[in-house]
Amino acid sequence: MNKQERLALFECMLRIRRFEEDVIRLAMAYDYVGRQHLYIGAEGAGAGACLALHKDDVAHTTHRNHGYLVARGSDRMAMFAEILGRDGGTNKGRGGPWHICDPDVGFHSTSAMVGGSIALAVGSAYGLMKQKSQAIAVAHFGDGTLDEGIGYESLNLASLLKLPVLFMCENNAKPGQRPSSMLAAKHLSHVPAALDIPTAVVNGANVEEVHAAAQKAVAHVRSGKGPFFLQADLERWPGSHQVHAAFPTGVTDIAMAWDSSKIDGKHADWIKTYDPILRHAKTLLAESVATQDELLAVDQRVTADTTKARETAEKSPFPVASDAAKQFA
Amino acid sequence: MTEMNFAEALVDALCVAMDADPKVSIIGRGISGHGAEAGADKRLVPYGDRVLDPPTSEAAVAMLALGASMTGLRMFHHFGSGVFAFEAWNQVVNEAANARYMSGGRLKSPVTYCMFHGLRQGGGPQHSASPHGAYAHNPGLEIVMPATPADAKGLVLTSIYSDNATVMLVHPTLLALRAEVPAGDYRVPFGKAAVHRQGKDVTIVALSRQVTEAMKAADILAQEGIDAEVVDPRTLVPLDETGILASVKKTGRLVIADEGPSFGSASEIAAMVAEKGFSSLKAPVARVNRPHTPVPFSPEMEAFLTPDAAKIAAAARRTVAA
Repeated sequence: MNKQERLALFECMLRIRRFEEDVIRLAMAYDYVGRQHLYIGAEGAGAGACLALHKDDVAHTTHRNHGYLVARGSDRMAMFAEILGRDGGTNKGRGGPWHICDPDVGFHSTSAMVGGSIALAVGSAYGLMKQKSQAIAVAHFGDGTLDEGIGYESLNLASLLKLPVLFMCENNAKPGQRPSSMLAAKHLSHVPAALDIPTAVVNGANVEEVHAAAQKAVAHVRSGKGPFFLQADLERWPGSHQVHAAFPTGVTDIAMAWDSSKIDGKHADWIKTYDPILRHAKTLLAESVATQDELLAVDQRVTADTTKARETAEKSPFPVASDAAKQFA
Repeated sequence: MTEMNFAEALVDALCVAMDADPKVSIIGRGISGHGAEAGADKRLVPYGDRVLDPPTSEAAVAMLALGASMTGLRMFHHFGSGVFAFEAWNQVVNEAANARYMSGGRLKSPVTYCMFHGLRQGGGPQHSASPHGAYAHNPGLEIVMPATPADAKGLVLTSIYSDNATVMLVHPTLLALRAEVPAGDYRVPFGKAAVHRQGKDVTIVALSRQVTEAMKAADILAQEGIDAEVVDPRTLVPLDETGILASVKKTGRLVIADEGPSFGSASEIAAMVAEKGFSSLKAPVARVNRPHTPVPFSPEMEAFLTPDAAKIAAAARRTVAA
């Protein structure tokens, strides 16, 4: 991977992080902005996978969807506006944070039902194959999807019909802690393997490892060999299931990558060991790919863009309430 | 116009659509049922893999159809019996029904879910459901119930070319019904009732197979000097409220014949007329439904529960006498 590509992964992850931090700020500022499923801590998986895709590939995501949309260049102002239920939102306020839809960057329906994204992606793959498209479909989902019957049905269907679909599973299971998947199989990837789907397991905190594996997986799927199951193992971020908006690991300071005295608090271990952005920054510095100043400059630019997008979204009006019962013809 | 049976009309519509548009794609087998009319399906064989014979995975296959429709295909998915579609309840009522609205209109979901419904003699408790009322409880779905071969063809074609998710319910006892069917790309508009018989004394609004029974009931009533009008909404969502209210205004009496149980389509139509056409009514509205009970296998017990011409005629007499 060249310098540009490695920096692109860094910037992509940081864009997601700054976006999600602003979502927390919005949730603190507006009572009606409800429960958020944030992508903090999973950026390595999302950026690594999304940057391996072509522009016309079609993805389906879960309620924890912001990261993928940001990674593929969805308009962040429209995303913030949707999270705020505003007219300028991606879905004109009809979907809200769990259903952000942006077909322009390859995101069709975002289902907030566990098992929704995997099954819709199999459908997209069928549609793309029938139309002889070179594009592939991607299902982003968590380990909990294999608790659902439709997870098995979807894997089976994709394997039977040799569909062009990448199953991108983010495994943030935490045994003994709910919510988490409960599976009798020893490893998640044993399930697709039993259905004759090739699998790979990577460390989701290592964005370069995810990206390299995703490129291989995408090449397999695009060559017409059928589906591939890529599993990224994650150590769940402590704020993963927020009922009340909070910054359990603080606002990320990129300088933590070279100054560990800045890291403290109850979750200092998670920040040191698992934060995929700091980890990648450390690698870039250690291998002299980038300087501290270069990384700080990227952050400055990303933070400024994000803030501007958020502030513009906050000025977007609400949709006309009486349009609620109007259908889209 | 060609005379054909209901099953042939369904298949004719699919062939017309597939011939005209390479984006039309079909999932399912046994679209013509499993009776004497099943041979109609043979016309689909030359279309090869444009007709997918899926595994027994109703939920995933319903989502296959929905996801594929979002990429631009026009999907027609036949579940077989409507009770199998219960396995895909979330996928139809929570995914497909919401997809277009919750995207702010950015996505199209041209998928048709077709299924058999109804008391079909011997279905027993688990294969006799008429779930149209339950589907209609879920905003975002168009609900279609053809009662004649021509409407079967015309409603299939309109469903396929609709950009919203549509649920079509077909009564298997109608498959053998023969009548004239227009040739080519014949479409029946949604939300426009058909008046199968004009009358001045009582309106019978009938759905699906009950249209046939209502026509028989009208013949019986005519011999007694009661002039019944038979109105078939054809689509439950959207519902032709104007058409139903105009008929009730003319006759002043309303009987609704529907195989669904309580809390369903007949109740909704009765409530709509009570709200918007109360001043036209000269007698209480009567519903002819299946009683609110599971369906027994034993033939005489099933017949006892099944709405038919005699029960519709009896209800009409009551309203006229009231």
